[in-house]
Amino acid sequence: MELEDLKDIWKQHTAVFPRKNEAEIAAMLKGTSRSIVAKLKRSVWFELIFTLIAGIAMVIYGMTLPSGAMKWMSISIPVIFIAYAVYYIKKLILLSRFNPLEGNIRSSIETLINDLSAYLRFYRRSYTVLYPVYFALGILFGLLEKGTVDIIGILSKPKTILMLSIVAVIFYLTSTWVVNWMLKKLYGNHLDKLKSLLHDIHQKNSE
Amino acid sequence: MAAIDEHRFVNLINEHQGLIHKVCIMYENDPEVRNDLFQEIVLQLWRSFPTFRGEAKITTWMYRIALNTAISGFRKETRKIKTEDLREVHFNITEGSDDSEENLHRLQVAIRQLNEIDRAMIMMALEEVPYEEIAETIGISQNNVRVRMNRIREKLRKLMLERWS
Repeated sequence: MELEDLKDIWKQHTAVFPRKNEAEIAAMLKGTSRSIVAKLKRSVWFELIFTLIAGIAMVIYGMTLPSGAMKWMSISIPVIFIAYAVYYIKKLILLSRFNPLEGNIRSSIETLINDLSAYLRFYRRSYTVLYPVYFALGILFGLLEKGTVDIIGILSKPKTILMLSIVAVIFYLTSTWVVNWMLKKLYGNHLDKLKSLLHDIHQKNSE
Repeated sequence: MAAIDEHRFVNLINEHQGLIHKVCIMYENDPEVRNDLFQEIVLQLWRSFPTFRGEAKITTWMYRIALNTAISGFRKETRKIKTEDLREVHFNITEGSDDSEENLHRLQVAIRQLNEIDRAMIMMALEEVPYEEIAETIGISQNNVRVRMNRIREKLRKLMLERWS
């Protein structure tokens, strides 16, 4: 069976689709996009707003506290949030600028893979760095709050080190698992699909 | 100006909506998801419309965005998918005979068994899109399109025969 035969079969029929009228098409232009880029943008917006609200709330709460460990903790964490907010804004600008679907299929897939991978990498790395920071800050400020003076003395006891290490490992493993599970659920399957498509295109190119 | 553009765009989609429907049918089983995909393609075309300068044929531009959206850009919601047999999609047979209807059905079922990139290539080829434009749309060389097209044709022949027997 030649390609021309297949074309003949294809052409013999005029598909009658549920035609959309002009009003329906015009209404579609005002709809919400469900593209992966739009989904990313919505996630970044949500995180930016959440980060800003949480940061402001912590600063306001910190201001109401008397001078002490808790006050400094409530103010120091929003400082970390500023770095996040800068990243989110930068990401939003980049996402708004490009439309990966305009290029050829291969370049679109490559762009999407790069962008999604960078996004996921950022998440994993930031959580890997941030959880130990929060954990250490929590212990430090907790001890300061209790009025402990000899912090180093307490922390250098073998029993304390062992206990803290176990808690840290459990905390790290649980949080990493939760983050990985969440990212896999949100974007992982789509990323795997994109990688397999790209692999298929590269195979075609090397044939 | 924006209203004129919108009107022009809506007319364009209205005129070429068959192309979008064909892509949706080839890439989605569920009628509801297919409808979502149609809307997504229209949205993506609308977003790209200001940058379309008429260097490529309008149908080539539409194929590029539509296939890109169907293959890589569209993200399905996780919900129970209702599959629909292709027979449930109504087709008007211009030279109406049961054989030709059966042939088309076989061809469509066979195409849907191909991987997503092969599906895009054969769809464009069946729509008489030149190999040069297929190569440009996919992002591979013309030579590879030729080689690949032979394999796809062979695969389709086998799939259609399997269904026949």
